[in-house]
Amino acid sequence: MKTIVQSLFTRYWNPYVVLLIAGILSALYFGLTSKVWAVTGEFTRLGGDILLLFGVDISGWQYFDMVHLKGTTWNRPDGWIVWGMFIGALIMVLFSNSFKIRLPKQKRRYVQGLVGGIIAGFGARLALGCNLAAFFTGVPQFSFHSWIFIVATGIGTYFGAKLTKTRWWKGKPSITRGAGKPSAVKKRVIQPYVGGAIALVYTGLIIYFFASGQKFLGLGALFGLFFGILIERGQICFTSAFRDLFLVGRSVMAKAIIVGMAVSSICTIIVISIYDLTPITQIAAMSTFVGGVLFGVGIVMASGCETGMMYRLMEGQVLFLPVFIGNIAGATFLAYAWDHLGVYNVLVKGGAKINLLDSIGPIGAITATLAMLGVLYALTVYREKRYHQKLAIKRGANVHAN
Amino acid sequence: MQTEREADFTLDLRGESCPYPVIYTLETLEGMNKGELLQVITDCPGSFRNVPEEAKAHGYTFAQEPVQNGQEYLFYIYA
Repeated sequence: MKTIVQSLFTRYWNPYVVLLIAGILSALYFGLTSKVWAVTGEFTRLGGDILLLFGVDISGWQYFDMVHLKGTTWNRPDGWIVWGMFIGALIMVLFSNSFKIRLPKQKRRYVQGLVGGIIAGFGARLALGCNLAAFFTGVPQFSFHSWIFIVATGIGTYFGAKLTKTRWWKGKPSITRGAGKPSAVKKRVIQPYVGGAIALVYTGLIIYFFASGQKFLGLGALFGLFFGILIERGQICFTSAFRDLFLVGRSVMAKAIIVGMAVSSICTIIVISIYDLTPITQIAAMSTFVGGVLFGVGIVMASGCETGMMYRLMEGQVLFLPVFIGNIAGATFLAYAWDHLGVYNVLVKGGAKINLLDSIGPIGAITATLAMLGVLYALTVYREKRYHQKLAIKRGANVHAN
Repeated sequence: MQTEREADFTLDLRGESCPYPVIYTLETLEGMNKGELLQVITDCPGSFRNVPEEAKAHGYTFAQEPVQNGQEYLFYIYA
């Protein structure tokens, strides 16, 4: 028993299993709260909180009304989803004794992280959701905007991957002759104890929320914790799903995400029909496409999206501090640009909320969604095969030249 | 499994986040002569999985099992 528990906390979990559970849990969270697992909406509100702190009058900003900026992050369920994710990831990092301050050797990474973070934050909010609300939890809500977003993110990621490969962007690694020295390992292991203490305090907090009748805060805190644990243990990286397919022909993450979304779609349609809930639909417009492309480019520039950034920061990867700051800055700037710079009038106004459940009925919606995911899966496999075919041809040519 | 042989080159990736560990590892291996041994030191948790899997997918072989050294991993790969 001890060894099973031990390997649970020291080994990373299979991404398929993790995304399957995440897909089911997000459908369950929707059933319990009529909200979806999302993070960037809260990032925008955090930006609003910061502006208020500096005495900026944001009462007239339409975007903050739209995302319901009320109270503080501590009394918003969406806020607890975010903090729960951070804490869940941190607890897992500490349990597995894998926290370490990791400083990028190349200074350019900080600039890339900040700029990429800003673009990704801006793009995600322009499209009304990041890889969660407009992707992983958007597709199962049958909101058509997520279909546009997936295509646009794919295109953005493609260009991001091209950029990553350029010499001036990627920089040079440290290569030395002979065997290098690994770091000295500390004998005393204290991280799991710190993790245990945090887990205890946080459990107390969740119990307090439920005991004091604040059910939605409790559910936010609980599900946030689950999602944080899952993304860290599965090393779930939405950025890599598309990017690594273009860069090195790697397809694991893309396939696992598609399978997770398929399961989540089935669970969600069951939840919707049993509890007679209204799915969450966002506007599909020009803004969805433009936002998706920007988001795709931004996450590759930053090496992580709004979700992946969270557990990496908890692992001690300092690079993701400027990414987090950039995400909030980008989201806040979009909130400003929405009405002050005419973004709404130019890109959003002409759109409409399209939900597949309304337009083609439940059977049509689930069939179309599964068919779309099937096509996506086939494209992923095709892309991976093609990459390796090309590689084999290149290798063959090299052998001839020699 | 322990190799007797000392690595010909060391790629020190400590501090680098994904996807750079994979890109650097594959590029370095490509630039080396066949049969030379590369030691990779990396501390990005994502790379613990994608570096060995992609090195194998790109046709390289490992001299020994990956070594966990505290919060980092060591890989020994033949070019």
